[in-house]
Amino acid sequence: MREFIFRLFGRGRRPPDSDGDARPDGGTVTKEQTVGRSRLRDALDSDLLGSLPFWLPPALLIGLFVYGAIGWNVVISLTDWSGLGQPDYSSLSFAMYEEMLSDPTFWTATQNTFVLLIAFTVVTLLLGLLMAILVDQNIRFENTFRTIYLLPMSLSFVVTAIFWAWMYNPEIGLINVALRSVGLDFLAYAWLSDPRFSLAAVIFALMWQFSGYCMVVYLAGLRAIPTEQYEAARTDGASTIRMYRRVIIPQLRASTTSAAVVLMVFALKAFDFLFVLFGPTPGPSTDILSVMMFREAFRATNWAYGSAIATVLFLMALGVIGPYLYLQYSRGDL
Amino acid sequence: MAQLILDHVTKVFDDNGSDIVAVDDVNIDLEDGEFLVLVGPSGCGKSTTLRMVAGLETVTSGEIRLDDRVINDASPRDRDIAMVFQSYALYPHMTVRENMSFGLEESTDLDGDTISTKVTETAEMLNIGELVDRKPRELSGGQRQRVALGRAIVRDPEVFLMDEPLSNLDAKLRSGMRTELQRLQEDLGVTTMYVTHDQTEAMTMGDRIAILNDGRLQQVATPLEAYHQPANQFVAGFIGDPSMNFFEMEMQGDRLVGQEFAYPLSQQTRESLGDAVRVVLGVRPEDIELVSEASGDHDYETVVDVVEPMGNENNVYLNFTADSDTTFVATIGGMRSVEAGQPAVARFPESAIHLFDAETGEALKNRSLDELENAEPRL
Repeated sequence: MREFIFRLFGRGRRPPDSDGDARPDGGTVTKEQTVGRSRLRDALDSDLLGSLPFWLPPALLIGLFVYGAIGWNVVISLTDWSGLGQPDYSSLSFAMYEEMLSDPTFWTATQNTFVLLIAFTVVTLLLGLLMAILVDQNIRFENTFRTIYLLPMSLSFVVTAIFWAWMYNPEIGLINVALRSVGLDFLAYAWLSDPRFSLAAVIFALMWQFSGYCMVVYLAGLRAIPTEQYEAARTDGASTIRMYRRVIIPQLRASTTSAAVVLMVFALKAFDFLFVLFGPTPGPSTDILSVMMFREAFRATNWAYGSAIATVLFLMALGVIGPYLYLQYSRGDL
Repeated sequence: MAQLILDHVTKVFDDNGSDIVAVDDVNIDLEDGEFLVLVGPSGCGKSTTLRMVAGLETVTSGEIRLDDRVINDASPRDRDIAMVFQSYALYPHMTVRENMSFGLEESTDLDGDTISTKVTETAEMLNIGELVDRKPRELSGGQRQRVALGRAIVRDPEVFLMDEPLSNLDAKLRSGMRTELQRLQEDLGVTTMYVTHDQTEAMTMGDRIAILNDGRLQQVATPLEAYHQPANQFVAGFIGDPSMNFFEMEMQGDRLVGQEFAYPLSQQTRESLGDAVRVVLGVRPEDIELVSEASGDHDYETVVDVVEPMGNENNVYLNFTADSDTTFVATIGGMRSVEAGQPAVARFPESAIHLFDAETGEALKNRSLDELENAEPRL
C-alpha cells in the first residue's frame, strides 16, 4: 500500500525509452523482473493516473454544477414546460425559439442588450485608458488615486444601483440639484424614467463603476512597456499625443482585449443593477435579455421560454469569449 | 553635420530632498563629424550626459549648444538628434519599415514616397533590405541592432547618440558590428556621441574618448593619449586590459620605497616629481619584462602565482614572495612557457613607468609619446 501511494504521487516517471536496463541510481534491472509487472506499473506510473486525485474531484463538481446545469437548461428550453408541474421530456422541439423570434419584447431586449454591450464597453475602455495614462504620469498620491478609482468596482451592484437611483432622482438627486444650481434647469431631466435617457443613464452609472477596473488593467499594461519606448518615440520627434496614439496604445492590445472581454461578459449579465433600478418590468427602453429571462421564468413561470432566453444569452457570452480563447490558444498561451 | 558643445553641464537629481550630483561640470566639444566615446564605470553619469543631449533629461546648469544654438530647453523634436538605445527600443507592433519611417513621419514634412525611398535605401545599405516587412520579434539580435541603427541613420540627423548599442550582442557579433559601425560613421560623417562601459569599444572606435568617473570628466583625449598619457590614476587603471599595476610608494632620497620593493629613480624622473612624497607607481602589464636573471636596479625576484593563457599572450600573476598579498600582472608572449609556483625575475623599465600623486591621483610622470614607433604601412 505504501508503495502504491508512493507511486501514485508521481515518483519515478521514467522516460519510455529507458527499457529497464539502467537505473539512475547506478543499479541495473534485469529484463525478467520488469516484463511481468511492466504494464501495470506503467499504468500506475503514468502522469494521468498520478495526478488524478488532484483534478478529478473539482472536474466532477464543475462538470455537474456548471456544464450539467447548462445542458439541463438547454433541454428544458426544448420542452414546453410552464406553470406548476413537471417538465415533459417526451416531445422536444424548438417551439420556444420560434415563439421568441416573433416576440417583439425579445427583439427590444436584444437591441438594448447590444447597445448596452457595445456602448458600455467602448466608453468604459476609453475612460479607463485615459485615467490610466493620467495616473501613469508619475503623479503624487498615485496609489491613493488608484484605490479611489478602483473602489466602486468592489461595491455590490445593489448598493451602487440604489446609490445611482438617488443620484438620478429628478427632484432631490444630486445631478439635477447641481444642474439647477448653475441655472441649467432645462437639462434637469427625469433621467431614469425618461425613455430617451434611461439606457444612457444606466450605461453612465456602469461606466462609473467599471472604469476603475479598466484603469488598473491598462495601468498594468502601461507599466509593462519599457521606458525606452517612450524615449525612442520622443527622440523620433513625436508629440505626446502622437506618441501615445502611434506607439503606446497599439502596444496595449492585450490589455484592451482582456478588459473588453470582462466588460462584455458583464454587460450580458448586468442583471442585478437593472433589476434593482427598474424591477422585473422595466419597459421597452431598458429591458435587457437577462431581466426578461427572469421575468418569463420566475414571474410568469414560462420555464421553457425563460430557458430558451437563457440559452440565447449563453450563446452570446460564448460568442464573446470564444474568439478570445481561440486567440489565446493560437498564440500558445493556453 | 554639426558641432556639439557641452559647456559646464551639470545634472543634479533630487532624491527625496537630498541632492545627487550625477554629472558635475562637464565640458566636451565635439567637432563636426567627430566620433567621441564617453566611457566610464556604471553610474559615472555617462548615460545621463547622453540623455541630456537627447533632451530626455533636463540640464540643471550649463549649456548644451548645437552649432551655436543653445538646445537646453528644446524639445527632442527640435534638436535633430537621433538616438540608438541599448535595448534597441524597436516598436514591437510595427514592421521594420514602419519602425524606420516613424522618425521621418514625425519629425519631417516629407511625403510618403520620399520616406519610403529613403527607408529602402538605408535598409539596403545596412543589408536588411529583405527584412523590411518583418516585425522586430522575428529578427535576430544582430538584425534588430541593424534596424535600430537604420532607424537613426534614415533620419540623417545632426548628431547620433548611441547608448551602449553593442552590449546586447554576443562577443563575435559585437566585434564585427564595432568595425561596421565605425565604417558607417566615417562614411556618413555625422557627429557621434557614443556611450559605453567597455574600454575596448572606447579604444577601438573613438576619434577621441572622454573618460567619466563619479560625474566628473577625467580626461578627453585620443585613445592612444589616454592609454599612454593618462591624466590621472583613474584613467590609467580604467583604460587597458588587464589594468595597470599600481604600487603605493614613498620618496626616500633618490629611491621610491614601497612595502615590498624599492625603485631607484633617475635624475630626470626625480625632477618631474617635484616635491611629492607619497606617490603611486604604475606600470602596464605588457611593459613588465620577465628575464632569466636579476641584473639591474629595476629587476625583482618574484614567484608566479597564476598563469592565464590567452593564446597570443599569457597573463602572468606574480607575487614578490610566495606568501605575499601584493599581486601584479605581467603580459608575456603566448609562446613562452611559465608555470605557477616557478620563480621569475620581473623588470620594470624606467621609461615605461607612470607616477601618480597618491593624494590627488594626478599623473606626475607619464611615458612620453615620442617613443611611439611611426610605422608606415608599406603599400
